[in-house]
Formats: sequence, C-alpha cells, structure tokens
Amino acid sequence: MAIVIQPYRQEHESAVQDFNRRLQGSSGDPNFVFSQSAVPRWLPPGANNPVWNEFFVAVDGPSVRGAYALKQEVIFVRGKGLHRIACYHHPLSEGIVDRSFASVGALLARDALLQQPLLYALGMGGMERSIAKMLKALGFSLTPIPFYFRVLNPAKFLREMQALRTEPWRATLMDFAAATGAGWLAIRSAQAAASLRSRSPNAGANFVVEDGVEFSGWADELWTQAKETVSFATVRDANTLRLLYPPDFASNIASTRQLRISRNGSAIGWAIIGQRRKDPKFGEMRVGSIVDCWASTENASAVIQAATQALERDGVDLIVSNQSHHVWCGAFEKAGFPKGPSTFIFAASKKLTELLQPLQENPASFHITRADGDGLPVNF
Amino acid sequence: MAAGTFDEVRAIASDILGVPATRLSGSSSPDTVENWDSVQHLNLVLALEEKFGLQLSPEEIDQMKTLGSTAQLIETKLQSSPR
Repeated sequence: MAIVIQPYRQEHESAVQDFNRRLQGSSGDPNFVFSQSAVPRWLPPGANNPVWNEFFVAVDGPSVRGAYALKQEVIFVRGKGLHRIACYHHPLSEGIVDRSFASVGALLARDALLQQPLLYALGMGGMERSIAKMLKALGFSLTPIPFYFRVLNPAKFLREMQALRTEPWRATLMDFAAATGAGWLAIRSAQAAASLRSRSPNAGANFVVEDGVEFSGWADELWTQAKETVSFATVRDANTLRLLYPPDFASNIASTRQLRISRNGSAIGWAIIGQRRKDPKFGEMRVGSIVDCWASTENASAVIQAATQALERDGVDLIVSNQSHHVWCGAFEKAGFPKGPSTFIFAASKKLTELLQPLQENPASFHITRADGDGLPVNF
Repeated sequence: MAAGTFDEVRAIASDILGVPATRLSGSSSPDTVENWDSVQHLNLVLALEEKFGLQLSPEEIDQMKTLGSTAQLIETKLQSSPR
C-alpha cells in the first residue's frame, strides 16, 4: 500500500503510539518518539496566532511509518520586511529501524518543502547526522551556530562531563584534575582569559533584573528598537513572545524563566533562562541554559551578565548557549564564556537562502538562539 | 523493461551506494544493500531525477522498493513523457 502524508489527526494517535513503540523497541533510544497527541502541546494552532506548530504523519494503510512537525512563524529580514516561513522539526522515519522504509525520510523532507519552500531546520546534532545530510542533498545551506559554555563547578564538570570522558586515560586525568584542584585552576583561567580578551570599558552594569514579567508593550518597543541591528531573526514582539512563553509554560512544558533587564527605570532587554532536562552526556550536572535574549547591541552585555548571574544564583554547575549574532557572541565572551565546538546547525532551504541573499554570506549578523526552531520545550 | 534503462539506473545506484554494479540486481533493495539507507535513498531519487530530467512524486518515491521496480518506474515515466 502506498504511503501518503497527511495532517496528523486524532484518528492517527493510536497508530502513532504503535509507531513510537516500534522505533523505541528496535532502537532503544527514548528520543525516537513523536507527539502522542495530534494537537501540539506547545504552540497549538489558533486563530490569528503568528506562530504555531502543526504535525504530519506518513500513513501506510492502518500504520504510521513516519512523522514530522512544522513550526510556522514569521521572520524579519533587514531590507526585505516580514516573511512567513516554517521550521522543519522532529522528522522521524521507520527507516531508522527498518530499511524497508528507507524512502520515508525523503518523502517527509520533500513534503515539508512542498508545504513551505521557505523552510529551515535547526539543531540536528551535527553535520554528520542523517537529517543534516538529507537536507544538504536537497540543496539546503548548512551553517553551525556558535556554542558557548561557562563552567561554574569545575570539579563536578570534570567528573560528570561524559562527552569528554570517552577514553579511560582521559577520565582518569579528569578525576585527578578534579581531586587536586588543577582542573578548577585551568577552567577558571581559560574563562577569565576569554573574558579579558574581549572586555570593554562599557561592559554592561547598573541594571535591575525582574523575574516573570509578562511580555507587553515594553517588549514591543525593544523589538522595534533592535530589529534593524540584525539581518535576520524570527519575530520577537510581545504577541509572539506571549505565545512562545505562555504563563503556564514554566509549570507545564519546560522549566524556563523570563527576565526583564532595566536601567534607570526603562527596560533595556530580556532573557529566557532555564535548566536543561537530564542528559546522559552531562552526567549528574545541573545544566543551565541562556535560551533566548533580545536587546539593542549596546545592552547585550548587560542582558548576558544578568542571565548568567541569575543562573549562578540557581546553583547550576554549567551554563550553555548557542548564539549566532556577533554582538551577542561578544557579550558571552565578555561574561567569561569560552566558545566550544557546535553541533547546532542552521539549515536553510534553497528558497530561504535566496531570500537571505546577500545576507547569507554573513550569518554572524543573524539572530539565532537556542529558542529558535524546535529549541523548546525539551531541547533547549 | 529495456535493459538499457535498468543498466543506467544500476550504474547510478552503484555510484551512490558505493557498490560494484555487478553486485546489484533487480531484487536489490534497502534490505539487501548495506549502504542503502534513507540518506542514500534520497540521493538516489535526486540523481535519477537529474539524469533522466524528470520529477518523482511522493507516491513514485514510495514505489522504489527495489532496483528493478525503480528502473521500471523510470521507464514508465520516460515512455509517458519522452525526453
């Protein structure tokens, strides 16, 4: 029977559960799971919503053999105004565990491009992953988004950072460094050096931080003031931000907090911070994330300082973030965040790449963060 | 099916899958060829489209279960819209 891609409806939910069981049973990977609900929990479609998620399933008679999600959103492109685009995320194919369905991955990606030629994907875990290779084959341009990290608990970092402890000799060396304090000294020195290299006399200070302030007119003003400083960004006006981070978001979907940063009584920026879910590659560490941020360029450092201090007070062991814009990258470096290897990839379809020309040649002026794409709610 | 079409499809598959053409037959499929995963399947689709100057629909991509069925599909499409 031919595989047909359809919008995910309630009648498909039990077949999706069976699909998830087959993927997880054969792969043993708990991440291979598609939404069991046809209605997205985060960003459900709604009348006049500027941003929403929609799901599609590859139906093969009574079975589902694949699925993907599109996050429909609006972008600002400097000099070209607003455009509706979509993020292709969570593609899952039965071909992962059964080669008989090797065609499903191609069907999903092509269907997404038919739905929205202005398409992008974000994250993907690196250039070598299948999804990145498929998108490259389809003509997408791939750009890594810089990764920044700051170690707050060096001893725990050295003991728990599983991704670095791949060889026995390396694990032993890291244990030794943790026990003797040599690792603490080395990590603190590296972070201090990163901070000193990029420190400027105006590195932000004298700010007030408020927690949990609803996005309203003040956020619209910040969006308007700062959008011309970036060449490309998904819209971050108050209406969109209230949908991205609804009041029940922290309690029901992901453990994030929104910070408003002010100076002399006026809002100068905002940041979304949170603690990442447990991940084997981070061991038992509490990992904080600066998920999203917005401000005029002169206030970027103050926003990153405020977000870093808030996560320090929360007692996290490590803070991570992905940022593309050179001003925000500089703000992270001023705050003592070294740059690490990135597996967070921005992939733009041919049509989107054309729209972004000639800006695509300078992705350091894009504003892309961990909150873009499918970055939320679980993968920030 | 004309042998010529099958040979052309097999040559393309051999190139993409990194398998000698002599080891590919009409019954070769993702189940029997180790390198034939979802990425290579997409590469095969794109290469066939470019080589034969045609566009494969989702339904047609889904019909590409074996090399033989793929060659048959290409031949049918070529006959319905000659180059």
